[in-house]
Amino acid sequence: MLDTKKVGSVMIVGGGVTGMQAALDLADSGYYVYLVEKTGAIGGAMSQLDKTFPTNDCSM
Amino acid sequence: MTLSEVTKIDGIAGNFSVTVKESPRYVDTTKCIACGACTEKCPKKVDSEYDAATGKRKAIYVKYAQAVPLKYQIDADACIRLQKPGACGFCEKACDAGAINFDDTEKIHTINVGAVVLAPGFEAYDPTEAKVWGYGVYKNVITSLQLERYLSASGPTEGHLIRPSDGKPVNKVAFLQCVGSRDENLCGNGYCSSVCCMYAIKEAVIAKDHVPGLQTSIFYMDMRTHGKDFDQYLERAKEDSGVRFVRCRVNGVETDGVSSDLRLRYVNEHGRQIEEFFDMVVLSVGLQTPRHVLDLAHTADIKLTADNFAATSDFAPVQTSREGIFTCGAIAGPKDIPQSVVEGSAAAAAVADLLAPARYELTSEASFPAEKDITLDEPRIGVFVCHCGSNIAGVVDVKAVEDYAATLPDVVYVERNLFSCSQDTQEMITKRIQEKNLNRIVIAACTPRTHEPLFRETLKAAGLNEYLVEMANIRNHNSWVHSKNPQAATAKAKDLVRMAAAKVTFGASLKPIAVPITQKGLVVGGGVAGMTAALNLAKQGFGVHLVEKSDTLGGNALNLKHTWSGEHVPTQVGKLIDKVISNDRIIIHKEHTVTAVEGFVGNFRSTITGKDGNTKVIEHGAGIVAIGGEAYLPKEYNYENITRVVTSVQFDKLFELKEKHVKKAKRFVFIQCVGSREADHMYCSKVCCTHSVQSAITLKKESPDRNVYVLYRDMRTYAQREVLYRQARKLGVIFINYELHGKPKVTENGHDIDVEVWDHVLHRPLRIKADMVILATAIRPKEDAADLGKLYKVPVDGHGFFQEAHAKLKPVDFSTDGMFVAGLAHYPKPVEESVAQALAASARAATLLSKTQVSLDAIKATVDEDYCDGCALCVDVCPYNAITLVERAAEADRAAGKLITVNKAQCKGCGLCQGTCPKRGVLVSGFTMKQISAQIQAALAV
Amino acid sequence: MSFEPKIVAFCCNWCSYAAADLAGTARMQYPHNVRIIRVMCSGMVHPEFVMDALSQGADGVMVLG
Repeated sequence: MLDTKKVGSVMIVGGGVTGMQAALDLADSGYYVYLVEKTGAIGGAMSQLDKTFPTNDCSM
Repeated sequence: MTLSEVTKIDGIAGNFSVTVKESPRYVDTTKCIACGACTEKCPKKVDSEYDAATGKRKAIYVKYAQAVPLKYQIDADACIRLQKPGACGFCEKACDAGAINFDDTEKIHTINVGAVVLAPGFEAYDPTEAKVWGYGVYKNVITSLQLERYLSASGPTEGHLIRPSDGKPVNKVAFLQCVGSRDENLCGNGYCSSVCCMYAIKEAVIAKDHVPGLQTSIFYMDMRTHGKDFDQYLERAKEDSGVRFVRCRVNGVETDGVSSDLRLRYVNEHGRQIEEFFDMVVLSVGLQTPRHVLDLAHTADIKLTADNFAATSDFAPVQTSREGIFTCGAIAGPKDIPQSVVEGSAAAAAVADLLAPARYELTSEASFPAEKDITLDEPRIGVFVCHCGSNIAGVVDVKAVEDYAATLPDVVYVERNLFSCSQDTQEMITKRIQEKNLNRIVIAACTPRTHEPLFRETLKAAGLNEYLVEMANIRNHNSWVHSKNPQAATAKAKDLVRMAAAKVTFGASLKPIAVPITQKGLVVGGGVAGMTAALNLAKQGFGVHLVEKSDTLGGNALNLKHTWSGEHVPTQVGKLIDKVISNDRIIIHKEHTVTAVEGFVGNFRSTITGKDGNTKVIEHGAGIVAIGGEAYLPKEYNYENITRVVTSVQFDKLFELKEKHVKKAKRFVFIQCVGSREADHMYCSKVCCTHSVQSAITLKKESPDRNVYVLYRDMRTYAQREVLYRQARKLGVIFINYELHGKPKVTENGHDIDVEVWDHVLHRPLRIKADMVILATAIRPKEDAADLGKLYKVPVDGHGFFQEAHAKLKPVDFSTDGMFVAGLAHYPKPVEESVAQALAASARAATLLSKTQVSLDAIKATVDEDYCDGCALCVDVCPYNAITLVERAAEADRAAGKLITVNKAQCKGCGLCQGTCPKRGVLVSGFTMKQISAQIQAALAV
Repeated sequence: MSFEPKIVAFCCNWCSYAAADLAGTARMQYPHNVRIIRVMCSGMVHPEFVMDALSQGADGVMVLG
């Protein structure tokens, strides 16, 4: 049996750090990416944090 | 696609049809320029989700100041106009760009994709219903997320910590751990949320920075700081910052009845009932899967665990139960930022494995007209002054700036635009460049940090070199910050335009640097991490060299029996080895080590040496370090003298072989943290708590009349592993807490082994008679890690584990481009985290290997051979080791000597060399001495 | 007329220049006397630039990074 034709695009559901990382890596390696986010902007929970361990960097 | 949700997923792996519902934004994103005029006029205020209801936002709003896309949206439920047609509509009048569209409607999209990655995240547990915490009743009880917003400079109080009830300063704050975690009664979330201990410590430390003298207490059951460098942070919080840690579960929060202070009642370490008052209580709320994600899981038709997280295998941690659908982040179990980022990359690797045949099928490269050579042409500068709606034009007299710009030397054309960045203006600028024969462009608008790439593209489209544009930032650095002084702002705008024009006059056409890439990978280490990375790269279509020091593949996993979730390790590792051996694209080099390395990203040449002394040279574009770790051999607890004192790995073997003295034994004592979390080894080995608990369960199940003790410091059965800890206690395993200063003593006493430990509850030493003592020994880095690190110019940390580029955001990258890390070599971790990290390293490597060449920005150091005298001052200051000193042959007017060369692939254009050079012998293109001097001169010219 | 100093500020593209951008986004108000020159790293600022600025009439120079 022949393999089903594979489509070179990916949908990522969720635009937090993990979704963005997946989107970037896939786009950078030759795939067309649809990033679907429920709210009005990407960034997710990390954008709400003030600073992060260990360097107490600003999380922006 | 924002404001969008997946409503249906049809089809099969490789070819899905996904239905996406896009809710109306009521703002046209192609027109909105995020000036904020609409928000200012909007009369309706509601609680801000972003600020976790600590602050307010308007009905037309942007999620947060740095949001992407930076476009406003209208909250239909709050908007007066959308609720009552004909009313309000102030925002529409305020919007210069005409972006408001009250008639916007919901759209349904059907999208054809090869794979779906679910990364919907978590929600914080809402402690309102539980009642006992007083959340929603007492104003000074807040959640950790709310505290995060109070501490933030962008938060509702701009970083000032005040009491919500009366705005008074906070002096004494308590953090209550495990609110919404490890608690089946109040919230039904039996699992551990994994991240709350660490964030509570961080918040306590930062709160103390904000409020000098602030007293912070953290009430906890077990401090679960199992991540990399976490224990050191915990110790620093205790010793340096003076955060107080109290081991006890507080059962509720009460008011003191008089002021807004809060009363906590608890039993302290000495068994005494204590009553203590605080003026703020922070609930360290756990992570849980939100309703809409459960719906999504249902839509996607994937299986969930008992804790409502996506079910995955430990050897395929991002693969859901439905082929072609992957997960990453908190949907597959509570986890912290680095692990989420790792899984994001890991999901990318898993997708690329599935869709390798279709790579580059749907992506396209933009094409541009041939570039014009302007080297010999006189400068012809075009200046474009942006109004940015009213953002600039509302403060700065843009007409005056336009007129002024026309008087500047070499400026031959000036024009004003309502929005220079809009699509139509872009096309217009392209036309003007061609028609007026412009060869230098100044855009007086906003910041180059966001918009320079756009204008570079515009120049390219016009056949002009992309580096011949300079931006004058007359918005962010001018109209916005001097809005009360239009006159001064106009004068400053003129200065900024003059400076930009002066700089661009000395601009030159720069060529982006292209470096060819060897599309092969090298993986050092043939354990689970190394094999997983090699196999994934191979399945993505790349050739891989796998270098293993020993004569067998498998690494430390060969000593393991079961993962925490009960998967049989030998079976899975056996399968993995078979796949690696049978893959044609993987070349295995057993009994080889890396002995020499040269080259850089895309072009490494590694020399490997076999046991027999023979060497081979391998060319590769990227490298993955996965050399693993090793078990600590203990000196303590009489391990060397008493035969029945064994390590956990030894015990597993004895148990499997049904050794007689194990079979017969009735009394077992596990001792945790042997070689971990002390003195020079202040780190948690992460896997030992779970391992001992699993062994204890097996022993109890086999024979319930056995006495099994676990002596521990903090029980770190994090995330969904908590179920094991619960099960062990139910089976009657006895857990006894000990502190670092009261370590157990182990002595042989005839047929018995005596284990003496200080009991904190009874306040007296406890003597346990044991038949066997099992030591949960630490994971140590490989001894040769630092040597390998030197070869690849990648660092190891103070403990000897490899140091990633960024603890949070680049967890598998090294600071050296093209090199990645995975597995125990990075830090102790369980199998599924090693596998995820290996996949992530492979995905990151694939972003390089999938290209035939890398294009680098042309802002690089360039040597001016006429001036460089080879003094080599710059060689040492270069942070990227990009500069080398070479011999210079004698020339007609110059004797032989030295000279530097810059490796453009390694250079990042920081210009430390330029700042150091006394001879103007090295310059950064685009920021040359001449360009910056011209800018300085122009700045002070008037 | 009161003294109006001229200040030249060298700002690193990755931190202080970005911070100045954000100050704008937040509509913070500050004196208009400063002229920012963007550099790719404060380490790029050659001592000569500082001397140049001062000799050409700057009343102050800031190197931010």
